Amino acid sequence: MRQSVQELFEKYQNNLYIVACNICKNAEDAKDVVQDTFIQYYSFKKEFESEQHIRAWLIRVAINKAKNMNCAFWRKNKMSLEDFMETLVFETPESEELFETVMNLPEKYRIVIHLFYYEDYTIHEIANILKLSESNVKVRLMRGRVLLREKLQEGWENDE
Amino acid sequence: MTNKERYKQAFSALHSSTVMPMEMEKIAAVSKKAERRTAAAVLIACLLTAGGSGVVYAADIGGIQRTMQLWIEGDQTDVVFTYDTDGTYHLSYQLEDGQSEEVGGGGIAIEDDGSERPLTEKEVLEQLQDPIVKYEENGTVWVYYYDQKIEITDRFEDGVCFVKVSNGEKTLYMTILYQDGWCTSPHRFESPDSLR
Repeated sequence: MRQSVQELFEKYQNNLYIVACNICKNAEDAKDVVQDTFIQYYSFKKEFESEQHIRAWLIRVAINKAKNMNCAFWRKNKMSLEDFMETLVFETPESEELFETVMNLPEKYRIVIHLFYYEDYTIHEIANILKLSESNVKVRLMRGRVLLREKLQEGWENDE
Repeated sequence: MTNKERYKQAFSALHSSTVMPMEMEKIAAVSKKAERRTAAAVLIACLLTAGGSGVVYAADIGGIQRTMQLWIEGDQTDVVFTYDTDGTYHLSYQLEDGQSEEVGGGGIAIEDDGSERPLTEKEVLEQLQDPIVKYEENGTVWVYYYDQKIEITDRFEDGVCFVKVSNGEKTLYMTILYQDGWCTSPHRFESPDSLR
């Protein structure tokens, strides 16, 4: 099955933008990642089994593109996390602290944490998206949670 | 409040305001053309298995035209290879269904002093001997080398795949970044960072 770019854009642009921000830590690179991801969908005439398959594919492509963006030697939009956070408005100080703590996690934990807590993916689904084994995803999730718990204490429940 | 609710509230501070889909479709149309050109250049990077069996001067195309056999996507295929002294080359051959396929490309070499020159015919032929990576429309990913066709779709970890290929005489170590290029070395797997 295929869906129009416009339809997918309306549904998932924010999800892709947030996952890209999670990796790139700046808005401009994240916007480029979202655009490149939809261009790839438009250009790459892949048939999908379901809408969930499309969503997972878009997220996987966005993650790969964001990682590549981070590694590009010509990267021009790099900014400090503090500068990036100054451009954002948080509902509560706790939200700001959680955001900052997550963004300071190592990337490999951060991506798994994000897919689990924001995208509501299961460990099995995360393993498929990231092309990792389930046990690897479990370990990354556990270590990410431990780090969040250590930093946030009461601001993060022990839900392991 | 659960951890998921806390997390979603924290990340709701991020809002997307990217380009409109209509603009993207225009960009996609342009990038598709570029992609086709790249694909043509990649396609000819198949393995040369035999020397030229006949040499003629092709006045209408320019350069020296040879007939030879190449491995194209795992099949040994008769092709007409034309090289011009500006480093460009051209291949034409027939597909299984009888349709003619024509592809072309070119390249430069950078000398020690930083100056550029066109690749020589020998260098072009050497480059044609390397394995290639192809992304199929059904989402699968393959490495082609001589008569070998290796599916690597599920072998990527964190966007990187390492593949060792051999033709019986020479072994090559491939480092492949998902949809972002690859390199080969006869000695070892190169670091993915060297490709980025």
